[in-house]
Amino acid sequence: VTMEDYDYLFKIVLIGNAGVGKTCLVRRFTQGLFPPGQGATIGVDFMIKTVEIKGVKVKLQIWDTAGQERFRSITQSYYRSANALILTYDITCEDSFRCLPEWLREIEQYANNQVVTILVGNKIDLAEKREVHRQRAEEFAEAQSMLYLETSAKESDNVEKLFLDLACELIREAKQNTLDNNESAPMPGEGKNINYLSCCSIN
Amino acid sequence: MEEVGSPAVRRSCPAGLSAVRAETIEGLTELEDLERVYAQLCGEEAEVQTELEALAGQQSSIETKMLALQRLGPNLQLIEGDAAQLSGMINFTCSLAENVSSKVRQLDLTKKRLYQAIQRADDILDLKFCTDGVQTALRNQDYEQAAAHIHRYLSLDQSVIELSRQGGESTAVDASLALLQEAELSLKALVTKRLEEAVATGDLPQVERFFKILPLLGLHEQGLAQFAQYLCSQLASKAEENLLLAVGSDLGERRAPVIFADTLTLLLEGIARIVETHQPIVETYYGPGRLYVLLTHLQKECDVQAQKVVDKFIKQRDYHNKFQVVQSSMMRGVSAEKIEPRELDPVLCEVTLMNSRAELYLRFLRRRITADFEVADAVAAETVIREHHQSLERLLKDCQLSRTMQELIGFYIPMEEYYMRETVNKAVAMDTAEAGQLSSSMVDDVFYIVKKCISRALTSGSSDCVCAMINHATSMLEADFREVLVCKLRAGYPASALQDLQRGVSSAVSLMQSSLQHGKIQTLGIESQEQAKSAYLVTLNNVEVCSENISTLKKNLESDCAKLFSQAAGSEHAQAKIDSCLSDLMNTSSKFKDLLQEGLQELNNTAIKPQVKPWISNFLSVSHNIEEEEFSEYEANDPWVQQLVVQLEQLMAEFKVGLSPMIYDTLTSLMTSLIAMELEKTVFKCTFSRLGGLQFDKELRSLVAYLSSVTSWTIRDKFARLTQMATILNLERVSEILDYWGPNSGPLTWRLTPAEVRQVLALRVDFRSEDIKRLRL
Repeated sequence: VTMEDYDYLFKIVLIGNAGVGKTCLVRRFTQGLFPPGQGATIGVDFMIKTVEIKGVKVKLQIWDTAGQERFRSITQSYYRSANALILTYDITCEDSFRCLPEWLREIEQYANNQVVTILVGNKIDLAEKREVHRQRAEEFAEAQSMLYLETSAKESDNVEKLFLDLACELIREAKQNTLDNNESAPMPGEGKNINYLSCCSIN
Repeated sequence: MEEVGSPAVRRSCPAGLSAVRAETIEGLTELEDLERVYAQLCGEEAEVQTELEALAGQQSSIETKMLALQRLGPNLQLIEGDAAQLSGMINFTCSLAENVSSKVRQLDLTKKRLYQAIQRADDILDLKFCTDGVQTALRNQDYEQAAAHIHRYLSLDQSVIELSRQGGESTAVDASLALLQEAELSLKALVTKRLEEAVATGDLPQVERFFKILPLLGLHEQGLAQFAQYLCSQLASKAEENLLLAVGSDLGERRAPVIFADTLTLLLEGIARIVETHQPIVETYYGPGRLYVLLTHLQKECDVQAQKVVDKFIKQRDYHNKFQVVQSSMMRGVSAEKIEPRELDPVLCEVTLMNSRAELYLRFLRRRITADFEVADAVAAETVIREHHQSLERLLKDCQLSRTMQELIGFYIPMEEYYMRETVNKAVAMDTAEAGQLSSSMVDDVFYIVKKCISRALTSGSSDCVCAMINHATSMLEADFREVLVCKLRAGYPASALQDLQRGVSSAVSLMQSSLQHGKIQTLGIESQEQAKSAYLVTLNNVEVCSENISTLKKNLESDCAKLFSQAAGSEHAQAKIDSCLSDLMNTSSKFKDLLQEGLQELNNTAIKPQVKPWISNFLSVSHNIEEEEFSEYEANDPWVQQLVVQLEQLMAEFKVGLSPMIYDTLTSLMTSLIAMELEKTVFKCTFSRLGGLQFDKELRSLVAYLSSVTSWTIRDKFARLTQMATILNLERVSEILDYWGPNSGPLTWRLTPAEVRQVLALRVDFRSEDIKRLRL
C-alpha cells in the first residue's frame, strides 16, 4: 500500500485499429504534444497523469496499446485490470469503424464486466476526408451502451474532455460501488473493493 | 553707480538697481515714501562703500601677480621654439616609419603570392605527375596507385584547376586534365567491375582489395553496397547450410529441442562476427559513421535468412497448429482436441530462446551503430545527430526480424497462459495433504508453476512479454485459484451432531450452512468428518501460504527483472511497466489475507462459538450469592473455571496442531474476544454476595492467566471491562467505588459507563438500591 498523494487510481487502456491515433491522443493529453510522423507503437506503452477534479486527485495510469494484430495477445492481457477502455477509430477511415464489432468481442471476452467503455472518433481536423458520419457512430455507440466523443489529437479538440469525463465517470462508479459494498456485507470469498474516498462532487 | 556695477556686485545685490531708478524717485510725492527710499539708498551707499574698500585692499596682491606674469614672458618664447622643433622631428619620424612599413607589407604580399605560385606549381606538377602516374599505374594494373593518383586529383582545389586552365600553359593543363578525367572514369568503371567480379566469385582478397580502392574514387556507397553483397552471399550460404543441418539433425541429439534457436543464433552470431571482423577496415578506409549503411544492407539478408529459419521452425514444430488448438480450447473451455501442457514445454522454451537471441542481437547492433555514429557526429549539428538516431531506430524497429519475433511472441503468450492454467489445474486436481504438513501440495506447486512460466517469459528478454505473463498470472491467481480456495472454505468446517443442533437455532452462520451441507453432515461418517475438518484447516493454511508466496514471487521477479533489463536501451520505461504489473500482482496478496480473515471468522462462528457459549453459560448454574461455607467448598472443589480451562484446552488442541502458529494465534484471539463478550453477558444475569464477588474475581484471574499463556496477543485489553466489573463486585460498601472513580481513578481508565457501574453494583444482593442511586458518578 503506497501513501501517494491521490484519492483514486484508475487504469485506462486505449484500444483500436493501428494508425487511428491512440498514441497521439495519449501524448496530447499527458505531454501536450502532437508528434508528427509517430511510428507504430511496439507492444504496450504507458504514461501517468494526475488530474484534479473538483478537489479530488485522480491518478490516471494510461496504457497505450499497439493496434497491429501481432501484438494482440500482449494487449489482451491488460483488459482485465482496466477500469476504463477507450475504443478508438479514425473518422476518415471506414475500415477502422467497421472493425469495432470485432473489438467489442475482445472486450466482451477479456475485460471485466464493470469496465467503462467510451467510443472515440479521432482526427476530426480532417473533416473534408470524413468517411464515418457522426450520427452513425453515435447510434452505434448508443446501441452498445457506450459513451461517444469525437476528438482531434492534432488540434487538441476534446482530448482533455475525453480523459476528464472518463475520470468523472470512474469516480462516480467507484463511489457507487463503495455504497453497494456497505449495504451488503461481502460474501466469504467475494472480497471487498478497497476504496478510500468519502466525498467528492462531480460536474 | 553704473561703473561700479561690476558683474560681481550686480549679482550680489540685484534689488538695489531697481530701487534707485531716478524716475521712480521723481514720481514720489509722499514724505513717507521719500524717507523710505532715502533710507534704502543710504543702505546701498554703505554697502557700495564696503565693497570699494575691499577692492582697494586687493590692489597690492594683484600688482604682485602682474609682476610675476611679466617675468614669465621670455620663458614662454623659449618653450614655443622648442615645441616647434619637436613637432618637426615627429613628423619626420612618422613619414620614415610609414615608408618602412609599406615596404614590409609589400614584401609580405610578395611572399604570399610566391607561396601561392609555388603551391600552384606544385599542384600543376602533381596534376602532371598524377596524369603520368595514372597512366603508368593503369598500364601496370596497379589500381591502388592509380586510385591514389585520382584521389590526389580529386582532393585538389577545383579553383586551382580552373586557374591553371586560364594560365599560359592552358592547353597542356587541359590535356592532362582531360586525361585525368578519362582515367578517373575508366578506373571507376574498372574497379567497380573488378569488385563485382570478385563479389560474384567470392574472392575475399580481391573483394577487400577493390573495396579499399572505391572510397579513394569517392564511391563510398557503391563500395559498401558491393562489400555488403559479398558478405550477404557468404551469410546466405552459411545460413542455408546450417538450416539444412538443423532440419536433418537427429531427434535424439542433445540440442535437438532447441535446434532452430541454435540455428538462428548461428546466423545472428555470424553477423556479429562480420561486424567484429570488418568494422576496422570500414572505419579505416571509409571513415566512421558508415557502419549503419553496411548493416542496413546486411540486415536485409539477415531478415531473409531468419525468416527461413522461423518458417522451418513453425512447420517442423507445428507451432501454428498448436496455437490454434490452444486458442480454441481456451475459448470454449472444453474441446475435442486438447494439448497436454507438457507437450508445449519444449516449444515454449525454444521460442523464448529465439526471441532472447534476437533481442541480444538487436541490442548489439544498437550499441555498435550508436558508438560509430558518436565518433562521426562528434562535431555534427543537432539535426544530423537526431536524424542518425531516428534512422537507427527505424532500422531496428522496422526490420523483418523484429516483426517475425513479435509474431512468434504473439503466439507464445496464449500458449504459455494455457500451459500455466492447465498445469495449475492439474496441481489442484492432484492436491495432497501429507500428514504432519500444515499446507497441502498445491500451493507450492501452483507458485512453482507460476514462477516457471513468468521466468520463461523473462528469458525471452521482451519486457512486454513478461508484463503480459505477469498480468495473466495475476488474473489466474486472483480469480481462478482464489476461487478454488473459496470453494474449499465454502464446504465449511463440520460441526458435531450436538453442535449442529445448537447451530440450527442460530441463524448467524448462513452461507456455510447450506441445506446441502446439513444433509451431508448427517450422513458423514466420523472419519470423513475428520477429513473435512482437517481439509478446512489445511485450506486456511494454504490461503496464508498463498499470500506469503505472492510476496516472495514479487520480490524474486523484481530482482530478476532488474538484472535482465538494467543494461537494455529504454530500460527505465520497461522497468516502470514491469513494476506496475508486479504491483498489481502484489495486490492479490491482500485479497488472500482478506479471505483468511473471513475463513477464520467462519471457523470461530462454526466450531468455537457453539461450544464455548454453553460452557460460559454454566457460570449461571454456579451460585455466586454465597457465604463462607460455600466459598470454602468452592476453594476445595472448583465449580466452573477449571473445567472451562480444560474444555478450552481440548477444543483448541486440534487447531493448535492443524493451523500455522500465526493463524492459530489469530483464532485464539478471536476466541478470547468471544469469551470476554459472552462472560460479560452472563455476569449481568447473576447475583453476587461479597464473597461471591471475591469468588468471581478469583475465577476471572485464573481465566485471564490461562488465556494469556496460550496467545501472544495481549488480552488484558479484551478483559478490561470484566476486570473492572470484578473490582466493583468486590467492594465492601457502595460508596467505596468513589475511591476508584473520577479524580481517584489514578492510572485506571474506566471502560464502564456510570450507568453500567450502577448496573454492576446492583448485582450485589447486599447493596441497597437507594445507596446506588445516591451515588454521584
